[in-house]
Amino acid sequence: MTSSFPGAAEPAAGAAWHAGEDLLASYAAGTAGAVADWSVEAHLTTCASCRAALSAHVAPERLAHNRSALLVRVAIGDAGPVRRLLRRCGVPDHVLSLLAATPSLRASWLLSVAAVAAVVAGEAAAVGYGWIPGGGPVTGPPGSAALAPFLLVVPLLVLAGVAAAFLPVFDPAWRLAAAAPFSGFTLLLVRAVAALAAALVPVTGVAFVVPGPGWLPVALLLPSLALSAFALALALVIGPRAAAVATAASWALPALWLAAADVPLLIVAPAAQVACAAVLCACAVLLYLRRDRFELGWVR
Amino acid sequence: MTLNVCTAVVRIDGLSRRYGAIRALDGVDLTLQRGITGLLGPNGAGKTTLLSILATVAEPDAGRVSVLGLDPRDGAERVEIRRHLGYLPQELGYHRHFTVAAFLDYVAILKEITNRRRRAEEIAKVLAITGLEDRARTRIRALSGGMRQRLGIAQALLGNPKLLILDEPTAGLDPEQRLRFRELLSGLPGDPAIVLSTHQADDIAAICPQVVVLLQGRVHFSGTPAGLAGTADGRVWAAGARDDRAHLSWRGGDGRWRHIGEQPPAGAELVTPTVEDGYLLLSHAAGAR
Repeated sequence: MTSSFPGAAEPAAGAAWHAGEDLLASYAAGTAGAVADWSVEAHLTTCASCRAALSAHVAPERLAHNRSALLVRVAIGDAGPVRRLLRRCGVPDHVLSLLAATPSLRASWLLSVAAVAAVVAGEAAAVGYGWIPGGGPVTGPPGSAALAPFLLVVPLLVLAGVAAAFLPVFDPAWRLAAAAPFSGFTLLLVRAVAALAAALVPVTGVAFVVPGPGWLPVALLLPSLALSAFALALALVIGPRAAAVATAASWALPALWLAAADVPLLIVAPAAQVACAAVLCACAVLLYLRRDRFELGWVR
Repeated sequence: MTLNVCTAVVRIDGLSRRYGAIRALDGVDLTLQRGITGLLGPNGAGKTTLLSILATVAEPDAGRVSVLGLDPRDGAERVEIRRHLGYLPQELGYHRHFTVAAFLDYVAILKEITNRRRRAEEIAKVLAITGLEDRARTRIRALSGGMRQRLGIAQALLGNPKLLILDEPTAGLDPEQRLRFRELLSGLPGDPAIVLSTHQADDIAAICPQVVVLLQGRVHFSGTPAGLAGTADGRVWAAGARDDRAHLSWRGGDGRWRHIGEQPPAGAELVTPTVEDGYLLLSHAAGAR
């Protein structure tokens, strides 16, 4: 048994590592700090002698109190490898707990996103590589007509993830969040950014297998970001639900129109990228300026 | 910005709120003192709207509200109110895949308890108060209705609120659970002010020193439970047979008829009215108007 937490006592030759008396004392007093707390608790669960040593530092009522708090912490758990990894990367623990209530970060949601992205990418690949016959004449670059469904659906998948992070209908306990002092804007931003990142991983991944220009996976990033920021900013004006629908339409209509004109790739062409960058910047500024008006579930 | 909880906990002047054509609240004036206040009224009377405005989740169309001496229209004061608030919404949705402890952890973070250790201590405390210690690791979807209601109260108690707003906390509880709930409210640490809504007059009679009757979006009574019962003085009788002149009449478990009305039925004896009699008479009068 080894341990590497700060304050660990030097081991006797050949003996196990143990928590030092100073560390146990500061842990018992609640002054050890979050990182040391984690380490001590991880060690205590497996080391009877340190548990015994700890009890010498604590009054009996304090011990009972600590025991129930410790049981609560065990019951909360640390929720899997992704969360442990993010915590090691420096994401505060309480932010990770907030994310646990975001529906678009649940495995079932992300699997659905990956599945839909895989279907549209598979269709584009099958048509583009000539495995199945595609319909209609192709006037754009080779395979571009086959990309139309992919280009239509992928940014909408990302948008759906972000919308699910801020629409009250997806948060069964939104009234509690609305009546809590925690900043609605921070909560919204944390959830939206996490949902955005989580959705971008599978959709960018499948973009690599789609026949088309090599820059395609990158080309979807800016539109996805712009749509998400636009939905949030529009929520300030027309409410969250209408904003999600209107934003989806603002992508779907031009995408369908360009697909009908056999030039689906234009929606991610340089001119469109510039427009998306402009929308993203404008919306980011607006969101920052109006951050006080954001409250979960509704907008003042 | 200071908390002023020495005098009235809640002051409401001319409060109105519409939902489309429906007037949920229609010019409510009210002052609530410390202690437990019961809000009594039928479904659709505006109780939930009033409580969600007090909980800063909804905004009024007109009128002024002061909660703990602070104005919820002001951004900073609204956050300050929320720091001292415990709120149990009528339809509290749960993240059903959460365990009890993880759900309380989530709510504790929303209440700005970001220190992990303090959070665990707070959660252990509210679990003990609500008798849910053994359920910390149970998933919410596996809890019974009564336990979920206790969990709802537990989350409201996180962070030692000065004001508890409980919307129908006894809905769905069996008689024994309701009794336990009354016990729980009477023994809360820190003695928070409590506003709760119910349509059970016996809840009010049992635990609330103040009662407000809300009917069709208006306050029809504000006072003590004894005062509410007193509004039916001289108008409640027990008789052996039914009498059509009564506003309301029903046969009790003892086989005798209880009449509420202006005229005594033949051979009736006057009885001491209960809180429920007073409430029924008020709601009858409001309906007849």
